[in-house]
Order: sequence, then structure tokens, then C-alpha cells
Amino acid sequence: MSTATKISRPRLAPGSIVRWTAIAFALFWSLAPIYWMLSTSLKTELEATRLHPTLWPEAPTFANYIGLTGTSLPFVAFFFNTVLSCLLTAVVCVVIATPAAYALSRARFRLAGTVGYTILAFRMLPMVVVLAPLYLLLLNARLLDTGTGLVVGFTTFGLPFAVWMMKSFVDAVPIEVEEAARVDGYPRWQILLRVVVPLIMPGILTTGTFVFMEAWNNLIYPLTFITTMEKQTLPAALVLTFTGQFKTDWGGMMAAATITTLPLMIAFFAVQRSMVRGLTSGAVAGA
Amino acid sequence: MTRIVLRNVEKHYGNVPVLRDCNLEIKNGEFIVLVGPSGSGKTTLLRIIAGLEHITAGDLYFDDTLVNDVDVGDRDIAMVFQNYGLYPHMTVYENMAFGLKRRKMPKDEIDRRVRRASEMLNIAPYLARRPRQLSGGQRQRVALGRAIVRDPKVFLLDEPLSNLDAHLRVQMRTEILKVHRAVAATAVYVTHDQVEALTMGDRIVVMADGRIHQVGTPDELYDNPDNKFVASFIGTPAMGFFDCPVASAEAKPSAGRVRLTEAQRTLLHRNCKAKVTVGIRPERLSLTNKEDDTADILLHGTVEAVEMLGSEQYVHFVVDGGALTARVPREQQVRAGDSVTFRADAKHLYLFDPESSVTLR
Repeated sequence: MSTATKISRPRLAPGSIVRWTAIAFALFWSLAPIYWMLSTSLKTELEATRLHPTLWPEAPTFANYIGLTGTSLPFVAFFFNTVLSCLLTAVVCVVIATPAAYALSRARFRLAGTVGYTILAFRMLPMVVVLAPLYLLLLNARLLDTGTGLVVGFTTFGLPFAVWMMKSFVDAVPIEVEEAARVDGYPRWQILLRVVVPLIMPGILTTGTFVFMEAWNNLIYPLTFITTMEKQTLPAALVLTFTGQFKTDWGGMMAAATITTLPLMIAFFAVQRSMVRGLTSGAVAGA
Repeated sequence: MTRIVLRNVEKHYGNVPVLRDCNLEIKNGEFIVLVGPSGSGKTTLLRIIAGLEHITAGDLYFDDTLVNDVDVGDRDIAMVFQNYGLYPHMTVYENMAFGLKRRKMPKDEIDRRVRRASEMLNIAPYLARRPRQLSGGQRQRVALGRAIVRDPKVFLLDEPLSNLDAHLRVQMRTEILKVHRAVAATAVYVTHDQVEALTMGDRIVVMADGRIHQVGTPDELYDNPDNKFVASFIGTPAMGFFDCPVASAEAKPSAGRVRLTEAQRTLLHRNCKAKVTVGIRPERLSLTNKEDDTADILLHGTVEAVEMLGSEQYVHFVVDGGALTARVPREQQVRAGDSVTFRADAKHLYLFDPESSVTLR
């Protein structure tokens, strides 16, 4: 009886009120800092440090952005350092992870499970734990304070994740499609390139974007491995430049932060559709 | 065209045997059907012929060449998969041309073959489409087309019609046979549907539990099954069986009468068993009355269920604990619970050893 009365009343159920409140809260939680970053970047130095902060700049100005180019610091170089190292990391990870994931997904060997979980276990290590050994390795390989060294560092952390993510995409490719290619006479590596890779393209883009974003957000590696200011990445440079002992340039910092965030957002929106498709998986199968 | 020979082929997954001691010779250009219930090993056998599975023991020959270790790509076979196995990212044309490209065939020759196959299969208007834009039947045609453009020595089909609706299945059956005649390759066809097997196969291989039970033409399997399994698997509705005591070389059912032929009596005498399993096909039974004197076989039983099929009805009844089915014209009124008497001719009886289930010979 009680269920019947519930169904006949198309009002806003208590459940959905809770749900919408939760969604609104989550939205506020994630969007408010971005709004604050944007609005502060448009404020004058005086307004940004006011005791009673304003929600919207009284006299919006691009001075902070223009100021970035005017300083002695090479922000353009920081930007390209970051884009280059992150992009390279994403490419390296995807190129290595694709055949690795394919092997883990398809090959039937005794230690397949062990190998898979060992790779995953590397991901569980806290970043700080590998910092010291990685530092020594890069030192001996003469890669400290180089972009290559940074890419190597980012890759150690991005690769295990990339392999596992890609494996789930390869798993979703129907085996008959590969067998058909074998019957058609293609060797394994050609099947991988001509049949599997085109089918998991959304997965490759998704994985690459994740690795890219993760490398972009990585602060501790560039701060540790890069010593020359001109070779620094944007997030690390932000920390090094705008926080002094006696003064913090909030406006300038927020302008730089906006520029740092922008490529990430663009990257995300560009692959958003295939990312959602990839995450919900099964999309590549069947057809 | 190729003759395929399997000698003592075995396949194990770890300790689990899936194929045991399989011996088979498939003739040049023959259309052979592997049929059996799921888990019988028919698909595994097909995949072994294809080279997609390794042989645990035994030998596989194409003509006189041992191909145990020949890679699938080098066997010159074409295969149609149950789920089609089309390349989703390629057009119909590219799907069919993919295997030819691998063989470095000139472009105009590829084009000629793809167009000829697509016309034969009525898929010419869809060459530019991708598989997801096609219906199930069209995808099946593309899969067939991909197999025939290659002009292979051996044509392997793994339950290719099981994803299609009943109407389309009947239509595709004739189409596949037409294609087989046109390409003149040796064809191995796997199905669990014995109607498909009977209507399509030059010869049929009946499999169960990883063994080949019998190989023969549809007529041979229907008329002379080697054992109870083959007898029950071939023919719809299935043959019915009941166990019956034997006394002085004559079967004695508790509810009815059996007058065997001289040959059958000799058989019983020679095998000298206390019991025999009797099998009768549903189409050999007809309704009669209890006092019918002319009949060789009279069976009294109680009707368990009646299935109405339009032109006829299937009557399920029980004799001596064994379930029998009879095909009865719909004019005859039979209802569940009725006491009925059926008659049959002795020459239409099948006699099996009740322990080994093998046909008495």
C-alpha cells in the first residue's frame, strides 16, 4: 500500500533533494577555487590583498597577465618546458603501455597475473619513496637538471597506471576480431597496429590525457630534479616565484595559475567525449 | 581444395580433456558438418583445423602435409565466426580487402574480387558502410564475403547462423550452400542444430563429450545410428527409448507386445542380454486400439503431454519408465491423461545394449 501511494505522487522526493544538494555542494567545492583564481587574477595588487575581499574585481585589469611577460622571469619558457615534458611523458607512456597492455591482456603465460600486479604495485608506492633512488639514478645517468630526466621521472609514475588503464581497453576488444586478422594472415604486431590500436584509440587518448594531467600537476619532481630556473616547469616556477618570505604577489600568482590551468582544461575538453566513452568501456566492443 | 585428415587428435586444457582420440577424414571439396550439444568439442575441433588452437597429441594433415605446427596465417583457410568477427573500424569493402592486401595482391584484382563477392551476396550497395550500420543478416554476408574473396583451400564456419532469426537462418542456409558450390573449397561447418546439419551436410560428424560418435551421410545417421546418443540427437522430435526385459530372444514389455523380425531375434540371441533398450522414432508410431492383432508392436501407455504444431501434434507418453513421443495427425483427439495404444512395425525398431548404449549388430 505504502509503495502505491509513493508512486502516485510525482513530487520532489526527499531522496532527490538530498541528491541535488550534494551535487550543488560538489559543484561549489570544485568551481569556487577556479572562480577565485580567475577573479583574483583580474584584481589590482591593492584589491587582492584587501582585508575584506571582493567577490568580483571593482576595476578588472589584465595588468597581472601583462606583468608576467614583463618580469625578468621567462614564463613563456616555463610554459613550453611544461607542455613539452608532459606531452613527451604522455607519448612515451602510451607507446610503451600499449604493447605491454596487449601482452598482459592476451598472452597466456603462467606469471601473467603476478607481472600485472607487480606493475600495479609500483603505482602504490608514495612518490616520495622513489624520489631519492630516482635522484641518484638521474645523477649517475647525468640527467639531472635536464628535460629528459624530468620525462623519465614522470614516466616512472605514469607508466604503471597507463598499462593498467590500457589493459582494460584491450580486454574489451572482441577476440574474434583479432582471430579474423590472424586467419587473414597478419602477424601479431601488425594485428596490434592495424586492428587493436584503431579500436582502442579512445582509450589511448584517455590514458594519454590522464598521464599528461598527472605530469602537469607533479610538483615534487621538477622541484627536486631541476635546479636551473630557466628549465623549470610552470607549477614549480609558480611556487618558487610568487611566494617570498615577506610578500606574496597574489594577483600575479593567480594570473600565472590561470595560464597553468588553461592547457589542462583544453586538453580535458578536447578528449572529454572519448574519455567518458572510454571510462564507461564496452564502447569499443561489438559494433 | 584440400583433403583434411585428423589422426588420434587430442586436446587438453591443463588436465581437462576436451577432445579425445579424434579420427576423421574430410574429402576434397566436401561440405562436412560437426554437430553436437554444447561442450561436445566441435568448436575446438574446428579451431584446431584452423590453427587457432594447438594440438596436444595426434596429427593433422592438409592433403599429405603435416600442419600441426603451421601457423594459422599460412594454412590458406578462411573462417566465418559466430559473432562475425568483422573489423569495426573498417568499411565493408576494407573488411573484405584486408586479407587480400596482406597477400600483396594488385589493387585492381582486389577490387574485382570484392565486387564479385559482394554481388554474389547482395551486399554491393553497402560497400562503403561500417559493420555497425548493417543488420545481423548483412553482417553475416560480409563475413561470408570476406571468407570467399580469399579463394581459400579450406572454408571454416563456426555456428555462423546462430545469431540470426529463424526466417533468415533458413534463407542463409541455402545461400551458404550456394557459395560453397561456387568456391568449391573443402568446408567444415559447426552447428548445434541438427536440422542445419541434416539439411546442409554432405556428411555429418556427431560429437559429444569430446569424442566423435559417428560420421556419415544424413541418411546413414538417420537410418543406422551407431549408438543411442546419435539416435536421439538426429531427428526431430527425438527418438524415444524404453528398457525391456528379454525372454527367449524376444523383448517383453510389461505394457504391450513385441513381435520382432527373425533378424532381430538372432541379434538378441547372439548378444544374450537380460534386457534391451528399444528405440522408436516418433514418425513410426501410430494410434490404434488395444485389440489390434495385425501389429508387430503394441504399446500401452498414459499420455503425459500433447504439443500442438498446427498440421500435426506430438504426443508424449510413458512405457515401462521410458519416455516415447509419437507424431499424430491433428484430427485424432488426444489429451494429457488419456490411456493410449500405439502400434509400429518391427523393422522400424532400434535395439541398443542397455549398458554401453551401442546399437546391437
